[in-house]
Amino acid sequence: MTSIHLLETALLLGVYVLLAGLYGLSYGIDRFRHRRWTQFAARAFYALHCAAAVSAIVWTPLYPGWKLLLVASSAAIFFIPRLTWRFLERTHTGEVHS
Amino acid sequence: MYRSQKLAIKYMVAAISLFGVMTLAGLLSAYYYINPDFLFGILHFNIAKILHIDTLVIWLLMGFMGAIYWFLPDELGREPIGIWLAEILFYVFCAAVVVVAVVFVVVQYGGSDQAGLWLVNQGRKYVEAPRWAASGVVVVMVVFAFNVIATAISTRRATGIIAVLMIDLIPLVVLYLDAFPAITNMSHDLFWWWWLVHLWVEATWEVLIGCIMAFTLMQVLGTSRRIVETWLYIEVALVLGTGILGLGHHYFWIGTPDYWLGIGGFFSALEPLPLLGMIIHAIYDAGTHHMKTTNRPALYWMMAEAFGNFLGGGVWGFMITLPQINMYAHGTQWTVSHGHFAFWGAYGCGVIAVAYLMVQKARALPQVDGQLWKWSFAGLNLGLVAMVGALLVAGITQSMIERATGGSTLQAYIAGQESPWFSEAMILRFVFGLVFSAGYALLVYDLARLGRRRTVAQQTALAT
Repeated sequence: MTSIHLLETALLLGVYVLLAGLYGLSYGIDRFRHRRWTQFAARAFYALHCAAAVSAIVWTPLYPGWKLLLVASSAAIFFIPRLTWRFLERTHTGEVHS
Repeated sequence: MYRSQKLAIKYMVAAISLFGVMTLAGLLSAYYYINPDFLFGILHFNIAKILHIDTLVIWLLMGFMGAIYWFLPDELGREPIGIWLAEILFYVFCAAVVVVAVVFVVVQYGGSDQAGLWLVNQGRKYVEAPRWAASGVVVVMVVFAFNVIATAISTRRATGIIAVLMIDLIPLVVLYLDAFPAITNMSHDLFWWWWLVHLWVEATWEVLIGCIMAFTLMQVLGTSRRIVETWLYIEVALVLGTGILGLGHHYFWIGTPDYWLGIGGFFSALEPLPLLGMIIHAIYDAGTHHMKTTNRPALYWMMAEAFGNFLGGGVWGFMITLPQINMYAHGTQWTVSHGHFAFWGAYGCGVIAVAYLMVQKARALPQVDGQLWKWSFAGLNLGLVAMVGALLVAGITQSMIERATGGSTLQAYIAGQESPWFSEAMILRFVFGLVFSAGYALLVYDLARLGRRRTVAQQTALAT
């Protein structure tokens, strides 16, 4: 791996996780605000996250196994905010009625 | 107030004081990078670094113990069994910390023999304390575990949080025993040493802070026990699922078999996923309560913990966790950057949140807010983020110049150290270390003065 490949790959992996976080953050805000821009932001951040994943797959010298892990993680990341939110609502709603 | 809670306050005061020593030793360590001749022949970099990282461990440990001693009697409805022993050991613990610090600063070096191991320095990073002091830490931890477990058994009220805590305290004590062996084969030594460093930090401490945050959430936001316990169980499952075998990412390049590259890379790459769930949970809590609470500093520090953990552990960790990258980044300032951010996010912020909660309860303050905590919050977090940013630049420079280009030769090491990217980043790190220190000073002042100047109306209300 050349020094430039090292820099590109590491930063891309950092951006990959950062965008996942921004997707989660904007998804959460959207669930409270229900505004067009919040919904757009959540979708845009997830799209950018996927773009980071594709970039890492196409342009970095990572081994295929790690690239496969990135694809699987991106799929999981799409569902984590939704599932977590649903679970949170269910536990809190149950609390109110109990 | 229970005796256990009075002891908790003492532990928290000691923890915040050691936080100051850690910050001072960190500043000193940072300054050596700018002026390597500083205190030449008097106090070298390695001693300052030992003080920095050992006080990091001890201030967090004391903060955790303080938090547990604070919540325990409320949770179980009685004074912990053997609290008198814990009270005595607190002073022994503090005296031992002072003696060890004085030995590190004054004596500095011991011989490579049993006397050196027992009296001066064990020579193992993070657990350098000489064996007599390390043995003392074991005694303190055993008594701490006894206080919790014996009290829970005697009251027959092992709640979900207490049950998790009781189970967690066993590996917390047992893993510390890993501080003692003096193994001459370096690969074997590092293999077992990482059990202590990684499994304490990414397994037992994670569960411990999870229990502490569960108690804190119930008090700060009034979250129900059922909810916090459900999430605690999920956290324990995720920690066991990803954190334990994530240990493998420390087994790169220390002479362990190749399969650790795959195991370590895979499981540590999964670690950001539960942290993303934590972000969602933080937003949910903040949104449903509209950030309204009687203790805003505690709430904000809890939020800082969720986001700091994600950024420090998740983003910074993921950059360097895959073996192909780690081969170049391992042991550079890049790792230091990740370590600072992750420790701060995962633990430091949590202990500060508990400190504010304890101040509120101890001084019977109906509301904790004001301006000072905001300046302290900003100083500490901005200082920390800028420091880790500077360290990131320095670490990337080392990885590119020293490792990827130069092939890890001594000449390449020197070239990396002399690069303006590296040297200027280290200056910036020191400058933002000063900002962090200013934030710390404000934190101490705020914690000390909160509620001290009550209005006449408040005093009358309290009196009635």
